[in-house]
Amino acid sequence: MAQPAISVNDLHYSYGDTLAVDGISFDVEEGEVIGFLGPNGAGKSTVVKMLTGQLTPQQGSASLLGMDIVKERKQVQQEIGIAFETTNLYEQMSAVENLELFAKLYKVASFDAITLLEKVGLGGREKEHVAGYSKGMKQRLMMARALVSDPKMLFLDEPTDGLDPVSTETIHALIRTATQNGTTVFLTTHDMVEADKLSDRVAFLNQGKIVAFDTPSRLKLSFGMRALKVEIELPDGGAEVRELSLDQDQTAQDLFELFKNERILTVHSEEATLEDIFFDITGRGLQG
Amino acid sequence: MIGTLVVNDIKLFFRNRFFAIVTAIGVVFYLAIYFLIPNQVNESLGVAFFIEDGEASPLFQRLAEETGDYTLFDTEAEMLTAIEETGDYFVGLSFPSGVTAAIARGEELDLNAYYAPGVPAEAKQIFHDVLVLIANAANPDVLANLQRFNDTEVVLGNDMTGAPLSFRDRILPLILMATVLMEIFGLATLLTRDIENGTARALITGPLRLHEFFAGKALMGMILAFGQLLILGIVTGILGRAPLLILTTMLLGSFLMVGMGFFVAAISKNNTSVLAWAVIALILMMIPGLSVLLPGLATGWMKVIPSYYFVDSLHRILNFGAGWTDLGRNLALLLAVGAGTLAIGTAVTRSRF
Repeated sequence: MAQPAISVNDLHYSYGDTLAVDGISFDVEEGEVIGFLGPNGAGKSTVVKMLTGQLTPQQGSASLLGMDIVKERKQVQQEIGIAFETTNLYEQMSAVENLELFAKLYKVASFDAITLLEKVGLGGREKEHVAGYSKGMKQRLMMARALVSDPKMLFLDEPTDGLDPVSTETIHALIRTATQNGTTVFLTTHDMVEADKLSDRVAFLNQGKIVAFDTPSRLKLSFGMRALKVEIELPDGGAEVRELSLDQDQTAQDLFELFKNERILTVHSEEATLEDIFFDITGRGLQG
Repeated sequence: MIGTLVVNDIKLFFRNRFFAIVTAIGVVFYLAIYFLIPNQVNESLGVAFFIEDGEASPLFQRLAEETGDYTLFDTEAEMLTAIEETGDYFVGLSFPSGVTAAIARGEELDLNAYYAPGVPAEAKQIFHDVLVLIANAANPDVLANLQRFNDTEVVLGNDMTGAPLSFRDRILPLILMATVLMEIFGLATLLTRDIENGTARALITGPLRLHEFFAGKALMGMILAFGQLLILGIVTGILGRAPLLILTTMLLGSFLMVGMGFFVAAISKNNTSVLAWAVIALILMMIPGLSVLLPGLATGWMKVIPSYYFVDSLHRILNFGAGWTDLGRNLALLLAVGAGTLAIGTAVTRSRF
């Protein structure tokens, strides 16, 4: 059996008396996209910081690509690419200079900055100082920088937060391309739609613990309720929406009765969103 | 790897217009000051006399001719104008007619002493005492009663007899120090900006190790500081005197500035506080330089400021021919303080990543 790309075992971290990560364990296979979801303060960033060598775990262990994240920290860092949530680029340098600096430091042979910048949609503006870029452009450049060393694993922290649809779609396309090439992606996000769309599996993190970890479809099957929303016309001319669960025995009879006795305006099928499931499991929303 | 980082940092340093201008113009400006300052020594005491008294005139005429320190004016008005406008005289004395005779008679009399602006009270007191002696010298009875004594000259410190320092020689160590002081500000700004903007985090979670990051910053600071000193050293021609000792002192002085730059970065929360702390550091570090210009200022507390050992070493090498033995303690202290501030700065700064 192939060794997991990420293997986390009973990881703990506290900031003083505040327990940020409380004994989490999980494995990620090579080429998988993992969506790490949770509200602010759930411990997502602390997990990412430990896995990327910015924090040393206080208890437990983890390995990336078979290397211990503490004992082989630098070797691990040489194999990963990180796109931070807040932009941290050299603003007084051009996009090309930013990428070439990292390529030189990673000792990448025959690096082609222009091609990479075209891939992230920054072609034609590669010589401008980054200070003049929009937020979306900076975020795309961050993504390009994370890809400079052709990493085996990508850590993306809220990569599309606050971006316009075009920039968001560019980044989504880059993530898909990377995974097609076998890159493992660790994605932390608030955006349930994005996580649902991109992730092979999602982990729900709440108060430092993983409370659910599975594929989005299985989570929906396990925790969500499939339903039909039927809009009927009322005698006074108004409308009312009736919700029928698809997982109950009498659903077919209830639906038949509605069609028989009421004037139906619309019928829609509906499945639970990841946000609904998160709320069901934790009793809190993802935004806070 | 460190070389790539250093090249990048130097590029960023010169892309900051302020640092680029201060560094480039600074070197030119300091060199201009150095070469504009006169290289001659003015050994004249600058004392002006107007003698109306016919009896005293031959005596002072002879004094002026023998020493060259005194200038006789034909009119009191000419003397006053010279004191006020030329800056060559710090005091002028007017001897009205009948003074010599009055002294001979033992009478009390009033004499006018005209001082140039800015003459300190202590100098006025000393001159007053000399004036009393000179005036009484006109009285043969006083001279006859003077006790003879033998004195032995003991020069405390460096004996400058016959080799006085020109203002240009005196100011050079100060110029050299002022040039590299700005690197404290430059280095602290670069370090703090890297931390504030998160670029340091991007580097050390990626291709660089923490020690490589700090080594790159320190090396960049050394190159900028030492580079400027080297340019000044070559243009002013001082490297011909004791090249190895001067280069070592310059290197350790640059190291001190790098350490101070790290220290300022460590105590600063952001770029704004770098400016505040750097200004305080620059002013403090500049103070010992003034002691070279005005030796009387060099008091014990000044030796607490580490830049004292840099400027003092340069002063002693360049102006008194001091050697390795004389400067061993100074150089060791520069190395120790540089290493200490660098260590503190690194330890505190790394905790902010």
